[in-house]
Amino acid sequence: MKRSATPTSVATRPLPKGPLPKLSVTSFPLLSPRGHLPFRVLPRVAQLAGVALLFISSHTVGAQQIDTLTASAVYSVKERPVVKPTEEVQLQDAVVAPMQVADVLRRFTGVQVKDYGGVGGLKTVNVRSLGSEHIGIFLDGIQIDNAQNMQVDLGRFSTGGIGIVSLYNGQKTSRLQTAKEYACGASVHLDSERPLLHKKFAGRLRFRGGSFGTVNPSVLWDQLLGPVTLRMSAEFLTSNGRYKFPYFDTTLVRENGDIRSLRLETQLFGSTAGGSWQLRLYGYGSERGFPGPVIRRAMGFPFSAERQADQNIFAQGGWDQEWTERYSTAVRFKYANDYMHYDSHPEKNPMAMPYDVHYRQQSGYLSLAQSYVLSDPWSVDLSTDVQRNALDSDVGQFVMPRRTVFTGALATRAVWNRFRVAAHFVYMGAWDSYGNPNAGGWSREDGYRDAWMPSVSLYFAPWEWLELDGFVKRSYRLPSFNDLYYTQIGNSNLSPESAFQLGADLRINGRKSFWSWELRLSPYYNKVSDKIVAIPTSSQFRWTMLNIGIVDVTGLDVKANMNFSEGAWTADLVLRYSLQQALDHSTPGSQTWGNQIPYIPLHSGSIDFVVNWQRWTLAWDTSVAGERWSRSANTDDYRIAPWNISDLNLSYRFDRPDITISLSCNNIFDQPYQVVQGYPMPGRSLMAGVEYNF
Amino acid sequence: MKKATLLLLCGTLLCACEKPPIWDIFSKDSSLEGTQVDVKDFKTDVSKLFVLNEGGMGSNNASLDFIRFSNGNYVTGVFKKMNPDIAAGLGDVGNDIVVIGNEVWIVVNNSGLVEVISANDETEIAAIAVPTPRNIAFDANYAYVTSWAGAYVTYDSNYMVSDSKNPKGQVYRIDLKTKKVEGSVEVGYQPEGIAYYGGKLYVANSGGISCSLPPDYSYENTLSIIDASSFKVVGNVEIAPNLHKVYSDGQGVIYVTSMGDYYMNHTGLFYIYAANPSEVHKAGKNQQKPGDLQVSISCLNGDTVYCAGTRDEFDWSTPHTYYVWSFSIVDQSTDRGKIVLYPRELTGTPYGLAVIDHTNEVGGHYVFVGDAGDYFNPGTVTCYELDFGNADKLWSVTAGVCPGHFAAW
Repeated sequence: MKRSATPTSVATRPLPKGPLPKLSVTSFPLLSPRGHLPFRVLPRVAQLAGVALLFISSHTVGAQQIDTLTASAVYSVKERPVVKPTEEVQLQDAVVAPMQVADVLRRFTGVQVKDYGGVGGLKTVNVRSLGSEHIGIFLDGIQIDNAQNMQVDLGRFSTGGIGIVSLYNGQKTSRLQTAKEYACGASVHLDSERPLLHKKFAGRLRFRGGSFGTVNPSVLWDQLLGPVTLRMSAEFLTSNGRYKFPYFDTTLVRENGDIRSLRLETQLFGSTAGGSWQLRLYGYGSERGFPGPVIRRAMGFPFSAERQADQNIFAQGGWDQEWTERYSTAVRFKYANDYMHYDSHPEKNPMAMPYDVHYRQQSGYLSLAQSYVLSDPWSVDLSTDVQRNALDSDVGQFVMPRRTVFTGALATRAVWNRFRVAAHFVYMGAWDSYGNPNAGGWSREDGYRDAWMPSVSLYFAPWEWLELDGFVKRSYRLPSFNDLYYTQIGNSNLSPESAFQLGADLRINGRKSFWSWELRLSPYYNKVSDKIVAIPTSSQFRWTMLNIGIVDVTGLDVKANMNFSEGAWTADLVLRYSLQQALDHSTPGSQTWGNQIPYIPLHSGSIDFVVNWQRWTLAWDTSVAGERWSRSANTDDYRIAPWNISDLNLSYRFDRPDITISLSCNNIFDQPYQVVQGYPMPGRSLMAGVEYNF
Repeated sequence: MKKATLLLLCGTLLCACEKPPIWDIFSKDSSLEGTQVDVKDFKTDVSKLFVLNEGGMGSNNASLDFIRFSNGNYVTGVFKKMNPDIAAGLGDVGNDIVVIGNEVWIVVNNSGLVEVISANDETEIAAIAVPTPRNIAFDANYAYVTSWAGAYVTYDSNYMVSDSKNPKGQVYRIDLKTKKVEGSVEVGYQPEGIAYYGGKLYVANSGGISCSLPPDYSYENTLSIIDASSFKVVGNVEIAPNLHKVYSDGQGVIYVTSMGDYYMNHTGLFYIYAANPSEVHKAGKNQQKPGDLQVSISCLNGDTVYCAGTRDEFDWSTPHTYYVWSFSIVDQSTDRGKIVLYPRELTGTPYGLAVIDHTNEVGGHYVFVGDAGDYFNPGTVTCYELDFGNADKLWSVTAGVCPGHFAAW
């Protein structure tokens, strides 16, 4: 794809249909103009740009480019990022897209989604074996974080309202990023689609349902209120989570895996002279059961009666403003309040450990990013974030940790047409204090942890058909509250965990008559050190956490896109392959030294095939994971069998009224498989959906 | 060098020529082979030493190993090998193992099972459902199993029993002949160890869950005494917080270990006399420094309790070294005890302990230490000469995950 290499040619490209956004010229995702493009336009855009369907960012950049030329027509450094996202997918026709963000991410190269099965099961993402704590998940540029365990359950994030999902294996290098966007090992960005109204209001009704009693209605309403656009959306999800699974030599049905959830959102979008702003209020409530691992259990005892209720509320917003042609700022804020109630219900399960605990986590966040063009194409950015986290619980002897984190990033970019360079320095300092410093009977001193994180990224496009980029980076993740202060576990002396990354991408693209294609080869090396590992101490009931783990990761990601477009036909084929050797180098001489770390397959890959003909779309996906182990002891007892799973989706779109209907079948061949040992995944399932846009 | 090899060969041949005991020849498990270890000088009346690997909770990987003393084979995963029809294997979290007669009783905590197998060939005799079983003791007619859960027998079809979120623990009684549960009796919160002596059962209540639950957030500190014939609690003795193991020396002394509360109260070994249970004694009470004689892991051998403890119990930031000591009562009338501090020091993460007497005239001991490693991957069983700290370990073999419990047959 050549849009970044030769933006001038992009500017001459025909634009997609629809009105141009009246927006500032930032490429920051929070405010980037991503509208409701009719999805049939996309293949044409892609064809013209010489890219595959999935790389839709071409049209957005195209739109920005035109806007730039007409508006200010200067400073290319403002527009172009230094490196491209590793993967980027648009979810506009979301009735066809998977319900959960986790299902989008699992196809990406180098990504492992740890999935405990079912609609309500935990799903966390790990990129290139860094560990999910190193992966920043950003919603419109603001991190979704969890100071308690530093893991974000992507099963909770619906694809509804998300426009683009992108993954950066290395370093995102756009203008006006928050400091936190610089301070994580790898990042996943969920960017809302920004409503583009050419009438007073617009709406979308969507209904999905199918196997496991899954019912998923949602509604979205856009309204123009003078200069401000209002978007409101609601989504309900319920599923009984009952599916058959192999229980040793017999078959059982998963019980207590049901979920109900409700999401309510309100967003406001507005603009100022030379700027724009956005405000979002988000509420999510869910109640779910955990079916528990598959273990031998005496007849008559249930496997699990554990229930968890969550209430997540947040308000976030941002304001991007261009003050002069050279100087711009972005302000972002967030307040989040997350409540969780876990109950093991011993009165329903005599095997339960009697637990009934409540947690409340609060977080306040404020960020200021400034960007100044020194001399085109050279700019410098200064981003400063401050965040406060507090975790309260009625767990016995809980310290009620509070954390204030300051993150500052000084970044610079120089962007020529064919050669680009970016570098940054991040300082992160975290100060911990306690609401209950004497909990557990010993007094804790307030602790300060800090880390410096440098990074350099390069991009070089010697010809239009060849692009090279590379990065080197060191980042740290802070110990989580669980690492430090879990009542029976925890060590308040932990240092941040470090990740060193080195990576490169080689992209070759071309087109000929009806065909266009792109090939990406991405070799990389990662080293995670001072990895926080739980180890037991003098008592088997009292564990501690130590900075002792070392993991060396060497890998190669390969991705090939092919796109065909002729008349009413378009077809896209995406092949992905990941080779990932992630070796435990923690303790020389131990039996696990030099072995593959848990849950990382040496080989994995996927095939996505999408074909459009007139109003029909057929999508076929196959994912493959090779053998892997649930322990660093790579023995037969802990081997998890390889699997390959295929999904099929067929949809038809009516023109007037604008209705799309879709039918999908997941795990067509009804393969039994496990991603996490002891947690069987569902077999074949059917899902039907209908969407009405007005 | 050649001579040494020759000698070694001769030794091996001599061993091989020795007739294996009768039970080995007729056992179905005689074909099982494992790692060769040296057990020449072990007490001859022991045929096998069973090793119960707990496994990780939720991983269904509890497993059984044994050392066969006739030929020095260390065999892993024996339960699965001898019971291929039980596809689920031994189950989730093996918590206790006791040999009684020619039966091995294994408590599989998170499977809710007490598994009875033949000591001869490890084939299953019975699997008995008991909710969250922990530890087991025996008298002539019954097995007694401590349980963390509420009264299993009173659950209706919907498993409804009471409004209590933290049900008190129970001791279940299982008929040795019929292998059926015959009632239960309520004890304190989260009972752990249990021992039988002179018509009474002694149950250590830990409160290991209660400590993190409202409203009290506290550990249990009592030893419940149950009269075996009436199967009723006849007394409670306050000892120390978070009680763990109970041992009877067979002569009227009941030993109880405490795990302490991890920040203020250290671990320790306590004992009472069955004749006067209200008076609690502490092993090493005359030691100068408070906190001496800690107990991380322990076992009973004859009338002596062996313990390994660490002096830096409340330092959670570093790995520890463990010293091994033993305690026994020499004279009950004057309450005179004998403490032996062994030169053997343990490092790593010792998780299970067994002591077997040496056959030589000196009266030494071998100590088996189950090391849990990272508690996640398979651990090791290591054999040392207990009484000679400077000698290298005799041998070390890979066991299952968390080798924590031993039983000799």
